[in-house]
Amino acid sequence: MPAFSKSRCLGFVLPILVIAACTPSSGATSSDVRTSMGPQDQIALGRYLVISHDCGGCHGGEADPAAVGWLDGVRSPIQEFKIGPCAVQPGAQPCFTTRPKNLTPDNATGIGRFSERQIFNALRFGLRPEETPDVEITSTTRGQGNFPQTPHYLAVPMPWPAWRHMPDAELWAMAAYLKRGLKPVNHKVEDSEGPPDFWAGAYANNSFGAYPVPAYPTANER
Amino acid sequence: MAATLCLLPFGSVNKFSRSYCTRVSKPRSEPHPPPTRSALKNLSALTIKLPLVAVLAWPINLGPFVTADQPRNFRLAAARAPDTLSLRPILANQSSLPHTVEVTLTAAPARLSLVPGSVSDVYAYNGLIPGPTLDVREGDRVIVHFRNDLPEASTIHWHGIHLPANQDGSPLDPIAAGERHDYVFTIKPGTAGTYWYHPHLHQRTGYQIAKGLFGAIVVHAAHDPLPASLPDKVLILTDNRFNADGSVNFPDPHSVEGEIDEENGREGNVLFVNGQVMPKIIIRSGEVQRWRVINASAARVYRLAIPGQTLLHVGNDGGLFERPVEVKEIVLANAERVEILVRGTAPPGTRTTLEALPYDRYAPQTRPKDWNVARDLLSLQYSDEKALAPIALPVVLRHIPPLDTADATATRVMSMGQGFINGRLMDMSRVDVSTRLGATEIWEIENLVGMDHPFHLHGFRFQVLDRNGVPEPYRSWKDVVNVPKHETARFIVHYEDFPGKWMFHCHILDHEDHGMMGILEVN
Repeated sequence: MPAFSKSRCLGFVLPILVIAACTPSSGATSSDVRTSMGPQDQIALGRYLVISHDCGGCHGGEADPAAVGWLDGVRSPIQEFKIGPCAVQPGAQPCFTTRPKNLTPDNATGIGRFSERQIFNALRFGLRPEETPDVEITSTTRGQGNFPQTPHYLAVPMPWPAWRHMPDAELWAMAAYLKRGLKPVNHKVEDSEGPPDFWAGAYANNSFGAYPVPAYPTANER
Repeated sequence: MAATLCLLPFGSVNKFSRSYCTRVSKPRSEPHPPPTRSALKNLSALTIKLPLVAVLAWPINLGPFVTADQPRNFRLAAARAPDTLSLRPILANQSSLPHTVEVTLTAAPARLSLVPGSVSDVYAYNGLIPGPTLDVREGDRVIVHFRNDLPEASTIHWHGIHLPANQDGSPLDPIAAGERHDYVFTIKPGTAGTYWYHPHLHQRTGYQIAKGLFGAIVVHAAHDPLPASLPDKVLILTDNRFNADGSVNFPDPHSVEGEIDEENGREGNVLFVNGQVMPKIIIRSGEVQRWRVINASAARVYRLAIPGQTLLHVGNDGGLFERPVEVKEIVLANAERVEILVRGTAPPGTRTTLEALPYDRYAPQTRPKDWNVARDLLSLQYSDEKALAPIALPVVLRHIPPLDTADATATRVMSMGQGFINGRLMDMSRVDVSTRLGATEIWEIENLVGMDHPFHLHGFRFQVLDRNGVPEPYRSWKDVVNVPKHETARFIVHYEDFPGKWMFHCHILDHEDHGMMGILEVN
């Protein structure tokens, strides 16, 4: 099956449009049935999704898999993010710096030591793979269904709150592409800084929206 | 063209009500500029070559994170003269048999004054914090009658001692409240050094040690190369924190303070040496003292130094080095030990301090505000007596036979995340590494995260081969290796005897209790 037809999304212009146009996925459970496709088709789908979701816009290489630095993390302070009041008022506090990481499967500096399930959990639940055990997560409630009691979330502005609505198979395909479709690049990115709650305050009480989204059609839809 | 990353998903979060999503052009000399009106007006002129700076306002009130903290620089009233360092009593030997040490250790609740002016409900071995010292010689048969008079189960783990697996006091062998248990083992030749004992009940280790259960073990060599005339002092470094009523402070694990404890490991604002705050050691000019320093703190790492003088580093976890090493400072991670010779190189009547210099083991998110403050541990005071003539110290201490990497039959990769190893939390019923007796193996300990993790293997001492690819400068026996942020350490270990199940874990106690531990089975 051609990779493109696997997507149930209607548009790919911007991530925000993707979530608006995607049908709800199957639920919070991340089943371990990662794909019904062959490995190469899965990687091809993942490649297309990584490009169309602009992973390279922050993690390097823009939309060009042939570019030097493709997905291997920020290489200049100018690519870092400043988070906090300092973004609009120099010197204001608190001020945090976050840095898009190396997404290539390098063991020392990239995602080589993380399983595809840990990458799936990062995309679906926003959980940092180096701070979340390699387990199937079946809940979005702290302390339930393997969801950590003290979750450590990916640093802002990683847009997982939008991308978590993608179907399981698409998130698994992105993980497959990163782990098995890329060559490892040894490039160390400094750790991001952030509040002591590791951004949990930003995502408390699902205040950034429900997952999964309400069934179609809602009152706004026809 | 390069895409602009929009943060609209956060726009629905009221806490992110001032989100921005933009590109701006700024000279590289100002790497983190805010968006300016002119920059925003010029958005249409941007090209792919322009730098990307996305900014996001962060209006969350971080009050608890940035303000709530206990005073971390606990000091006694300035008027109070330091007490002389109290050396722990040695456990009384109840046996008259040769080469036999038979002692009783009772763990029980107690009320002790740990900080002057207040009384705390604690746990103590034989009524003391730290507990009495187990003082033995190589070849001794050791019998410890353990009485658990605590209101909960416990164990005694003989940290670093090479003994049968069922005597290790591991989490697999809890001793119930009110029970008695005899630990019996023989001290192997060649293992003279400084060790310590502490509880190792799964998920309760940090609590029980914080409540006061820890003590030193000194194993004397049959032939110690250092002069017996050197004053020999054990210094146990701990920290703790207390509520206003004197009780030991344990925050709600789900509170901000509790979560920071789980992240950093629990640090206290009161620093103790042998249970005393800022005691003193008297030294005579020209004198040489042998200090055995044990880091029994749950999480605090000590970068030890004495301003104005160097230290002669003569040993660590598993005893003496082959040769002394002169250093200005020593990083002592959790559960590590060092032996140092402190030489009275200053003039009579002067004084200096054993300090814990700043050491940044922390993730940026939870790094304490005052992490970079040096802390005083102990006052080193020179007597007024005239200087002693220098004594001769041996240049060679002993031979440490190298373990040969050519003998290694396997390499075990341990990838440490935050709170787990190789993606897995501790499971008491699971064996994580299975090997055979007599094998020699290399362990490669990777730290995947931006916080130090000291890795401890039970039962078998090892030799560090390299750290981040840099060969270890000299050989020593270790049972803990600190792996700094994002670094890798390799060690070689030989399972020479004692089959069974052995723990390996991060020795930040909060991490260990959280499940950052696994089981090695030697068949």
